[in-house]
Amino acid sequence: MARRSRTIIEEEDAELNMTPMLDVVFILLIFFIVTSVFVKTPGIDPFKPEADTAAEWQPGILIAVNSQNEIWIDKRPYDLADVRPIITAMRDENPKAEAIIIADKDAEVGISMGLQDLMQDLNISTRVSTK
Amino acid sequence: MRRRRNKTSDEAEVDMTPMLDIVFIMLIFFIVTATFLDERGIDLTQPPPPPDDLPDTVPKPAITVYVDNQSVCAVDGNQTECDRVSLAVERLLADKPGANIILRVNESARHGLLVTLKDEFDGKGLGSKIEIVRNS
Repeated sequence: MARRSRTIIEEEDAELNMTPMLDVVFILLIFFIVTSVFVKTPGIDPFKPEADTAAEWQPGILIAVNSQNEIWIDKRPYDLADVRPIITAMRDENPKAEAIIIADKDAEVGISMGLQDLMQDLNISTRVSTK
Repeated sequence: MRRRRNKTSDEAEVDMTPMLDIVFIMLIFFIVTATFLDERGIDLTQPPPPPDDLPDTVPKPAITVYVDNQSVCAVDGNQTECDRVSLAVERLLADKPGANIILRVNESARHGLLVTLKDEFDGKGLGSKIEIVRNS
């Protein structure tokens, strides 16, 4: 009889032990906070040229050029003549950021190298994205 | 009376539910905004031009690779298939050791071609200089 009443009390008190799940959730949270990079993606995915000598690059400023020679920054198209204030603003937001030019294989050299000249003029170190 | 009070303080636990809610919302926010960048890049930046007041030195020989607005390649004036440019340059380098390689590319040429040529030269350890020819 005594034993039976004890089991009833234990069942009433029973609760799910959330501690292991909480541990996992916290680890996930910290992982995503640490790895999160808030970069403005261009919004298009050009067909990049291939290169063997390319090296890893961690850019903070991404600029894409599609095969129609439109320059895409933060999901908006621009002309080469209009991008200077946009890039200057992005550099001022994050002065240490490095940039990458993601130009389509069939884009014109004048656009991709014109962009690069502009970046050099603004003292942003730049690479040209490859596969 | 005393016994009951003891019992309630034993069972007292911090209510974790609101904190859990916040943690979950943060977790979902960071998962949704996470962008994993995996970019590889090639360096096409050019060193700044040397100052004009350098003492006169014997000019080094140069090998010029032209790419015109139709993306047709030529090495020192001889039209060459673009895949064979680096071979042609290597052959010329045997005659002109230590020559500078100048890539003169028309601004209307294809970007992919410039990257391929520069990559080939870099891969063979040949330094090259890029010049963009503007259509005026």
